[in-house]
Parts: sequence; C-alpha cells; structure tokens
Amino acid sequence: MTPEDEAFRAAASLAAWFGGVSVDVSGLARAVGERVGDNLALTPRRPGTTLSGLEPFSREFLAAHDFAVGAGAIFAEQSTETGGRALEWWSRNETGVVEKLLFDLTPGSDRYYDYEKLPFFSIAASTGHQTLWGPYVDYLGFEDYILTFTTPFSVHGRFAGVAGCDLRLRDVERIFIPILRRVPGNAALLNGSDRVILGNSGTYLTGERVKPGQGARIALDVPHLGLTLLHTP
Amino acid sequence: MASPTPFQSQIYQSLPETERADAIVNRISNAISLGLLRVGERLPTEIALSDMFGVAGATLREALAALRDQGVVETRRGRNGGSFIVRQPPTPTDAIHAWFLSTSVAEIRDIGDEHAAISAATVRLACERAEPHDVDRLQELATGLALASTPAAQARADSRFHIELAVAAQSPRLANAEVRLQGETVRQLWTPLAGALDAEPATAEHLRLVRAVSQARPDEAQKLILAHIRRNIHHLIETKLTLGYAESTQEHE
Repeated sequence: MTPEDEAFRAAASLAAWFGGVSVDVSGLARAVGERVGDNLALTPRRPGTTLSGLEPFSREFLAAHDFAVGAGAIFAEQSTETGGRALEWWSRNETGVVEKLLFDLTPGSDRYYDYEKLPFFSIAASTGHQTLWGPYVDYLGFEDYILTFTTPFSVHGRFAGVAGCDLRLRDVERIFIPILRRVPGNAALLNGSDRVILGNSGTYLTGERVKPGQGARIALDVPHLGLTLLHTP
Repeated sequence: MASPTPFQSQIYQSLPETERADAIVNRISNAISLGLLRVGERLPTEIALSDMFGVAGATLREALAALRDQGVVETRRGRNGGSFIVRQPPTPTDAIHAWFLSTSVAEIRDIGDEHAAISAATVRLACERAEPHDVDRLQELATGLALASTPAAQARADSRFHIELAVAAQSPRLANAEVRLQGETVRQLWTPLAGALDAEPATAEHLRLVRAVSQARPDEAQKLILAHIRRNIHHLIETKLTLGYAESTQEHE
C-alpha cells in the first residue's frame, strides 16, 4: 500500500470508531428524551420527577464504553420544570466507581459552571446536530483534559438539551495511536477548528492549532464533527 | 519524665470539644480554599469522618453544622445523600490581614516571580492555541471585572480571567498552577485594607491582553502580563508595608 492508501485506511478506521460512538450517543440522547417525555406525561404529575430515572442510562453507557469517563444529559434552561439549569451527568472517579458529578449552577458564584455558553452545549443546541468539542481543559466541570461528544435531544418535539459523553485524552490515546501509527510520516487527527486531538509523532502535539495549507487532509466520514486526518510525508 | 509544671498542664490539657469542632471547620475550609476538596465533592460519611479526626460523633456534627451555617456544606438525605461541599468558605478580612502580617516582603516578591513565570508561558501558549470561542470568553471575563461591584466580586472576576487564560492555553497543569496562585493572592489583592486596587486600569490591561491573544502576538502579551503582575505585587507589598510597619514609618518621619 502507498502512504496515501495507509492514510485513507487510518481515516476510515477513525471514522468507523467515531461513527460507532455517534450511534451510541444518539441512542443515549433518544432514551433520555423519551424518559423525560414519559415523566412529563405521567398523571397525576409529581413535582421533582421530570428528570428522574436517567441514572441507569448513564451507568449502562459507561459500562459498555470503557473509553468514556463520563456520560449523561444537560438540560436547556427552559426545559426543566423549575426553569433552572440541570446536569444529570455521571463520571467514573479515579477508583473506577461511577458517581454523579455535581456542578455549581448558581450564577455569580465562585465556581459557577456556565454550561449553556460552552460549545458542546451551544453548538449542538444551535445546529441541532451532534458535535465534538475539545480537547479542552474542563475547568469547573470534570476538570480534566477531555473531549465532549454531544447530541441534542427533544421532548415532545422541542429541543430540551444535549446528551453525550466525556472522553479523556489519556483514554482515547490508546485507541487512536495504533491507528495513527500505521500512517507513514507525520499524521494527526484534527478537530473542526484545526486543533490537534492526537498526532502519531512529536510533530503535531495535542491542543496545538494547525495552520491552513499544512500537509494533505482527508475529511473523516462522520457527519457534523468536522474531523480531518492531516498527513505529511 | 518529670511531672508537668502548672503552665505545661495548662498548655497540654485535653482540648475542649468546641475547639476540636473549630479545628475540623478550619481543616475543611482550608482544604477547600487550597482546592484539595472541590465544590460538588461529597465528604466521607459521618462515622468515617469522626473516626479519622478522632472525635466524638457529636463534635463532628457540631463542625458540620457550623460549615452548613456558613453555606459551605450541604447535607442531603436519601440514597445519594451525604454532606456535599457547595461553596468556597468565606475568607474573613481578619485572615487576610493576618496573611499580610505573616508574609514577608521577600515572600510576596517570590510569589510574584512564580506568577510571572507561569503567566508568561501561559499567555504565549494562549496566543498560539486560543480560538475565537476562547477569545470571546476572555473578553467577557475581562469586562466582568469592570462590572464587579464588591471586592469579593472583583477578586472572583480577576482570578477567573487569569485561570481562563490557562484554559485557553490548553494546559491542565498551567491551569492548576494558576488556580493555586490565584487562591494564594487574589483576595489579598482586592480586599481594601490599606488603599483599594483600582479596577479600571486592571480591566484595561486585561482587555489589552485579550487583544494581544486574539491577534496572536506572544511578545506583546508576555510584556503586558509581566507588567500587570509587577503592578499587583507592588500593591501587595505596599499594603504589607502599611499594615505591618505603620509605626516604624511614623518614627522615621
């Protein structure tokens, strides 16, 4: 195979992997939307039950995907019954135990987590499509260096929030490096803003931005994520 | 061993339960301020805590009640219940005053040296790595300082801006270092103990930094942040001298 063929093969492998995550995140989003819809349809309505019963979805997702460190749903402000903000997000802690992640959602407080302004929420909300944000330092959130994959969901036909998962760079490295190492020369997986997610050498470093015109690029066949494989001989 | 003198037995007498409760409150408050315990984190169970601190259950509950009264800890019932940290502990002016008295001029300068090293690297990387989203966020946070109306809000806005620079630099380690440095000095900087720090020039400097980052000009950004930190350290040292050596100044005059 030519180096070009190897690059295309790596791009196809990466696209297949992201495609798989995409299908499963969509499944999570659908389950969350349906559950919240069912909760709202219950008669008589019991206060405080709109977001109940979501924990098993996150736990199942994390059990089935060992590369994901967190999973859950984030609600648009107007979608919860109190009009407040809500994150129903579970993460694996250092000992592997899954725990609910708690955020400071009080505007103006020291550690206020203003998620509606964060792109994994705002982009999915404004486009209506799945999105991948990162690598980024999730300050005040999970507080690690992560990627967040999200898909919007609706309740009774109206946008209600996003569901998705957190991927730590250190965890996806084990999946991406073997694929990228097969490409001869320098290669890197780039996000939609031309930021390096991971490279196959010390040339393209995680978090750095690549200037346009550098190397050859292959767009990954995963809708809306804007991922590309950059390779230079 | 000789029997203790009356003085010694006074010093070494067993602690009353109230002092132990206060010690637990201080231990937990300090751990939160230092970022060792985080907002959202669940404390171990009451049984485990009283065991680890070596105090009676009643003492521990007294300490938790005090933390609850300060709004630092919230106790929730149910299967996922427990005591959770919900807020940073308030730092009373007394503690800040004590910090100025116990920290030497050389130590304050040294904090500035470390901050300069961390910040210079941070802004240079932010120039290379920030994208429009980061710049928008920084711009918003820079404006936030001008809008802050109390010293506590100014401290919050100021530290948030500097931490977000490290976030834009894509470095968890630099972000952690910045969180620690801000925790050490930002309240001291904004609490008006001996002359208030003016938020207007600080905001202007932040805004100039955002522009340098957005235009990817690392040399200028570095120059700006070093001058910014030098000015802050100057203010801290001036405050230290006023609070710690007010009398000796009068003697000289």
